[in-house]
Amino acid sequence: MIYVKDLAKIFQGPKGEVRALRGVSFTAERGQLFTLLGSSGCGKTTTLRCIAGLEQPVEGEIVVDDRAVFRASDGTFIPPEQRRMGMVFQSYAIWPHMTVFQNVAYPLSQAVSRKELKERVGRVLDQLGLGNLSDRLAPNLSGGQQQRVALARALVAQPQVLLLDEPLSNLDARLREQMRFELKALQESLNITTVYVTHDQEEALAMSDRIGLMHDGVLVEVGSPTDLYLRPAHKITADFLGTSNFVPVTVLHGGSQTGDEMSVECSIGSFIAKRSVEWQPGMPATLFFRPEYIELANESDTAGMKLNKGTGIVERVVFLGNSTDIVIRCGETRLRVREHPARTPAPGKPVHFTIAPDACIVFPAASDDRKIVSSKEGER
Amino acid sequence: MNKRKFTTRSWAFGLTLLVVSYLVLVPLVMLFYASIKSTEDKLPFEATVTTLSNYALLFTSPSTLPILLNTLLFTAGSLAIGLPIAILFAWLLERTAIPARKWFSALILLPMTIPSLLSAIAWIQLLDPRIGLVNIMVRAVLGMKADTGPFDIYSLYGMCLVQGLRLVPSAYLMISASFRAMDPSLEEQSSMAGRNIAQTTMRVTLPIVRPALLAALIYYIIVVVEAFDVPGLLGFTARIRVLSTAIYWATHSEVGLPDYGLASALGMVVLVMALILMWLYHLLTKHQERFTTITGKGYRPRQIRLGTWTIPAVAVCIFYLFIAVILPFLMLLWTSVQPFYSVPSVDAFSRVTFEGYSSIWSDGNVVRSVWNTIKLALVTATASVFLSIFVGWCVVRQKQESGFLAKYLATVSFLPQSVPSIVIALALIFVYIRFPLPIYGTLWIIALAMTTRYIAFSSRTTTAALMQVHGELEEASQMSGAPWLRTLRKITMPLLAPAMINVFFWVAVHAMQELSMALMLYNPKTIVVSATIWNMWQNGKTADAAVLGVLLIFMSALLLLGGQVLSHMRGKSHQ
Repeated sequence: MIYVKDLAKIFQGPKGEVRALRGVSFTAERGQLFTLLGSSGCGKTTTLRCIAGLEQPVEGEIVVDDRAVFRASDGTFIPPEQRRMGMVFQSYAIWPHMTVFQNVAYPLSQAVSRKELKERVGRVLDQLGLGNLSDRLAPNLSGGQQQRVALARALVAQPQVLLLDEPLSNLDARLREQMRFELKALQESLNITTVYVTHDQEEALAMSDRIGLMHDGVLVEVGSPTDLYLRPAHKITADFLGTSNFVPVTVLHGGSQTGDEMSVECSIGSFIAKRSVEWQPGMPATLFFRPEYIELANESDTAGMKLNKGTGIVERVVFLGNSTDIVIRCGETRLRVREHPARTPAPGKPVHFTIAPDACIVFPAASDDRKIVSSKEGER
Repeated sequence: MNKRKFTTRSWAFGLTLLVVSYLVLVPLVMLFYASIKSTEDKLPFEATVTTLSNYALLFTSPSTLPILLNTLLFTAGSLAIGLPIAILFAWLLERTAIPARKWFSALILLPMTIPSLLSAIAWIQLLDPRIGLVNIMVRAVLGMKADTGPFDIYSLYGMCLVQGLRLVPSAYLMISASFRAMDPSLEEQSSMAGRNIAQTTMRVTLPIVRPALLAALIYYIIVVVEAFDVPGLLGFTARIRVLSTAIYWATHSEVGLPDYGLASALGMVVLVMALILMWLYHLLTKHQERFTTITGKGYRPRQIRLGTWTIPAVAVCIFYLFIAVILPFLMLLWTSVQPFYSVPSVDAFSRVTFEGYSSIWSDGNVVRSVWNTIKLALVTATASVFLSIFVGWCVVRQKQESGFLAKYLATVSFLPQSVPSIVIALALIFVYIRFPLPIYGTLWIIALAMTTRYIAFSSRTTTAALMQVHGELEEASQMSGAPWLRTLRKITMPLLAPAMINVFFWVAVHAMQELSMALMLYNPKTIVVSATIWNMWQNGKTADAAVLGVLLIFMSALLLLGGQVLSHMRGKSHQ
């Protein structure tokens, strides 16, 4: 288990100080694959390197399996070579002057006998399908093979923690998909606590047990893939994952305000949505829903409804193979819709649509982006 | 729980800082100190009066102005000869489709095997006003009546010729690097706009490399100002003194006692000049990246076809090789196989004997100097390699943690580039004559002087090589449980091997050929080959000097060849 609390890290940039991490806290349970997801420069790799010991934060603490590897308050810092973690770098960092066997054997070669070394290394190599490449010099391997060697090297000493820094980003699309499953299967079979860094949201959604979304040095939100995609608690999360529709709205006076629902109004119409923010009548806010939850309908189907519906003109249709990406113009607003190719209207046609209240979420208006939802242990 | 303070790594960093600072700064401080002490016949430590009289003497003495003027003319003349040739070759070999490119690029470096001292001796054989071979032939061909001239090597232009030719190989290396790094699309754009080759070269290529050429100019001004071998050998007879030789003669004059105060004042003048020039050089090279490419995909700049100019171009290359390498070497060889010097003739050919090569070993001095030279070269090269690894590592990898100290280390380790060899040697005399280490009068003080001098080149080389090694390769070793020293041994050093080999052989060859430091610091026990040749020449033992010279050239060539073979073998084994 990895427990991270209140990490802060400052770099000396060419123009002064850069706060790379601010108050980052999360927990990765034993055997979990925890992903740090975000765009470039958000601090996810820095966080990973802090856990590895390759960077030293200025504040906070990191506890791995009841052993504090870093604690700012009493100056504890265990150097990376003593943390007993396996790490796969983005560049793989395979040593070009050694063979595959030598690369993988390196973490063990001081600690065990020759015989045991051969056994254990051979086993890991077989496990990762590298058995016949044992004597090849590292530079003579393909990208996929190098990545496996890096993985083998990280796992050979049977660490309790595995750290992966964008391990799939240098592979081509097909290989990436294949490796995703293999990696996840391997991780589950070893039941090893893993922290995984990526900017690829599809990867994150497919592989993770929990995802921590990072933005600008802050951990914005933590949750399961489904939670973060369908019920994001923060606008940044909603925006980063998948495609989104954001419509400026005003919170209504009166209307249905029961439980966690609220009603809002905009140029398209009135909507009932899930609340995600403390509301006040008349307050500006942002309504969010995903393209695939906009249901196109006939005028007759929507005639009886008063809320959560709208109408517009089809502006553009893009064929994506298994679906179409449609842009609908409703007055001043443009909405993106994801629809099945067979049910796609032609451009220029007027359409009607509905959106279920469950699929709508209200966020603070743009100026309130700084408000972070980070609860006690970053859990929801 | 450990605190992060005193790890092996930080010990190594601190130690490197201390050692380099000690090696570089102590002599400089000592030099300054000596220049403000009135010494006359005393040593700086014995003198008590602090005074500016040395400087006053320097600036009011009537001989100062001629020295400065000569230095200026010598520098200008040598650069006027050497740099254009280097630029021409850099352009020919990097940007045109000249045949046998690979051969020429290798052969152009050959003059490096011939020490400047021996070049000077060879050219004396060729252009001595009375008995120089070229003069004799020209006189015969032109039917001149006089028995001297028309050329006189003992003159300013003679000195410029020899020094200028000597500059070409290393200037070529420096300039061709910037031709090679040029972004080819800049020229291609000019062609797309309809310009022909000549116009493109004049209006695009040359302006782009101009900053690099300017930087090379400044760098070689320093090199020539501090050069000793050529002005030392030729200038004495010609009664032409430049700054570097003036320092030597001030401490080794034939009349009177060494005037260390004056020598230090002169040294300070040269030092300040060189420092200013080096600072200018830094300013110019800081922004060179603007015009270079990151050649990840190996773009080759377009090769210009020479057409009818091919033959003249090849002829120029061959001619250069002839006068810079073949001719001097043949002269030395000739002199070494003649019992007494005589102009080549049928008679002289019959007197050819290789006896000199066997009898030279019976001279105890010679044997001792060869042995000392080998020891010196090995020790200096090894020390340079290790020192430069640590300096390189600290400068490149400690940037985030201790940015200021890393920059300081980079600056201090590059400083010796601007300190003339003779000044370093002078300063070390002052430092070690009493304390702190008992190395005065031993081979070690010469080794120390040379290591100090070569820190700049060696650490620059390892720094550049280390920047190519991805930091993650070392981090992966850390994450695999290896402590810092193990990472250094098993990952960093093997990956730096090519740079280490380069440094080792470059330093070894230079250490073998180095004259000025050896002359300042040797004694009969610690004499080296270059100093022995100098002495032999001064005492008129021409044939002996030539024999030893040829041997020294062979030793240098062997070393260089050994280095190339080693690099080549490693390259092969990594396929």
